[in-house]
Amino acid sequence: MTSSLSTRLDATFKGVELGSGDDDRLAVSIPREAVVPVLTFLKEEGYDYLQLISCVDWIDRGEFELVYLLSFYTEDEVGGDGGKQDVLLKTTVPREQASAPTAIGVFAIAEPHEREIHELYGIHFEGHPRLTPLLLDRDYEIPPFRKDFDTKQYVADVFDRVPPVEEEG
Amino acid sequence: MDRNQLMKWIKTPTKMAHKYSLNAVYFCTGCGIIEVPPTITTRWDAERFGVVATATPRHANLFLITGYVSVKTLRAIIRTYEQMPEPKYTVGFGSCTINGGMYWDSYNTINQLDKYIPVDGYIAGCMPRPEAIFIAVTHLWTLIDKDMADGYKRYRKNYGAYRANQEMVLGELEWPPLFPTEIHTNTGEGETDATAATPTMTEREKDDELA
Repeated sequence: MTSSLSTRLDATFKGVELGSGDDDRLAVSIPREAVVPVLTFLKEEGYDYLQLISCVDWIDRGEFELVYLLSFYTEDEVGGDGGKQDVLLKTTVPREQASAPTAIGVFAIAEPHEREIHELYGIHFEGHPRLTPLLLDRDYEIPPFRKDFDTKQYVADVFDRVPPVEEEG
Repeated sequence: MDRNQLMKWIKTPTKMAHKYSLNAVYFCTGCGIIEVPPTITTRWDAERFGVVATATPRHANLFLITGYVSVKTLRAIIRTYEQMPEPKYTVGFGSCTINGGMYWDSYNTINQLDKYIPVDGYIAGCMPRPEAIFIAVTHLWTLIDKDMADGYKRYRKNYGAYRANQEMVLGELEWPPLFPTEIHTNTGEGETDATAATPTMTEREKDDELA
């Protein structure tokens, strides 16, 4: 069934690259614009569970990689063979003016994931209703999970700059 | 009761009472709190040492900062600490409170806790065992006996400096100052104000210069 899923993906969408997955996961690379249609397609195929959205900063390539990990609750409905693979959906976003379409319309659980990625990587998700801070209490000039964020310099500038309180022995 | 301590009870009953009724505020920061439930429950039974966990800071006099402190947590820690009645004792638990520990280069953890609130003692280690908490408690008894567990007095005295440090990291604080802030300031430019407010400070500073 898995091979047929990959062929159907290939036939339905342009620019789909089947990456090297493993026995448990099928890796699929798609262009940014195809994220929502492919997610919708996979949801109809029975992948009813978006496990996570992850982000990788490939600073040498000048782009972010968004990774959607799709899984399913019911094994019978998907494929029927009980040995269905999860799907790793990968797409790339340029680092300059990074933005990606939101997946909330397909999977509502994408909301906190995208909010977190927006906060930690600075990727704008078009159509996201509230990209407000989720975890952090401070403003950072560069979002702190980007590779060009110098944590040691930041610690020296912010936390080490605080003087010790004079105490008399 | 230990007969050897009878004279202490008669001479300094408040100190002895403070020593043997340490009410720890059950405040969980970081991973160190995982050591606290076994410590206060049957396996190690902190109540043998008079340490009881309380639910609210207003009933507590011992504050265990258990683990790394993020900027967001620091705000809660300061608010909790300021709500505790005096005398209050703070113990930093684990290496993260000393110098940041394994999170020393994190973008979001303050490294030295004693820049923001006074700390009476530290338990080193990552993680310290529950036994280390009891060693710390017995050390704290000694400190209370010798009047050396004076973090709350230092906080009152150096409140301006502590508040300035808190504001450096947290930005403007949304609660009013607990004490008057102009008594002592940490920076050099506040020296004139400090001397005007407390003449005894100048004598002490002269002594420091002579020494």
